[in-house]
Amino acid sequence: MADDFALVERSSLGLATVMARKDISAADIGRALGMPMPDGPFESTGVDMSLLGTGPGSWLALCEKPGEDWADGLAAKLDGLASLSDQSGAYVVFRLGGARARRLLQQGVALDLDPEVFPPHRVAVTMIAHIGVILWRCAARDAFDVAIFRSFATSFRQWATATAAHLIEA
Amino acid sequence: MRIPCPYCGERDAQEFVYRGDAAPVRPAGDDGFEDYVYLRDNIAGPMREHWYHAQGCRNWLTVDRDSCSHAISGARLARGGTA
Repeated sequence: MADDFALVERSSLGLATVMARKDISAADIGRALGMPMPDGPFESTGVDMSLLGTGPGSWLALCEKPGEDWADGLAAKLDGLASLSDQSGAYVVFRLGGARARRLLQQGVALDLDPEVFPPHRVAVTMIAHIGVILWRCAARDAFDVAIFRSFATSFRQWATATAAHLIEA
Repeated sequence: MRIPCPYCGERDAQEFVYRGDAAPVRPAGDDGFEDYVYLRDNIAGPMREHWYHAQGCRNWLTVDRDSCSHAISGARLARGGTA
């Protein structure tokens, strides 16, 4: 069972939403941050941060090991270009891995997650069991990350556990 | 029914909030404002309408749809102002 599904919380992440000001392009923001910017529903990775495209002119910034002033530093770099809002406490990010991770997700996601259509670094803002999620495929093709508003995290975990149990029985 | 969001790709209509006919234009003054807010034609056939992608990219879309066949011929972001 452990080989089939593994659901782990990625803790202590730095998270922030970035919303471009009027007439500011993804490339403008990329220049200010010194990293490639996704201009669509994709993830791009910089030195210590990755950015997920969540909508036109909006992104979720994710930092693995944020310092205390990470969000403030980011806001300063983007001054005049984009609004930044620290969301580190707002989302729980789960990593779903294992041989049958995709099979599990397909029970709840109304999107084709075949790697041909949904390759690594592809992002989707959608819902699972009526819970809003930001979903992306990790560089390792068999794993997915799912960001969920913190107050829904328990419900999501229950859905995942119940669905996995159902798949194992089937 | 699946709606082709220009940012997210094709998505189930469940992810969207329906607004209706996109034709009414906001009046400059108070005259006709109530009609603008509340009155929508219920067109049978091809129409241009507004949908909000609430569970996706959180943007308003303008969608060309035939309300009889549900065939969708186009969708774009409403923010461009191209109606």
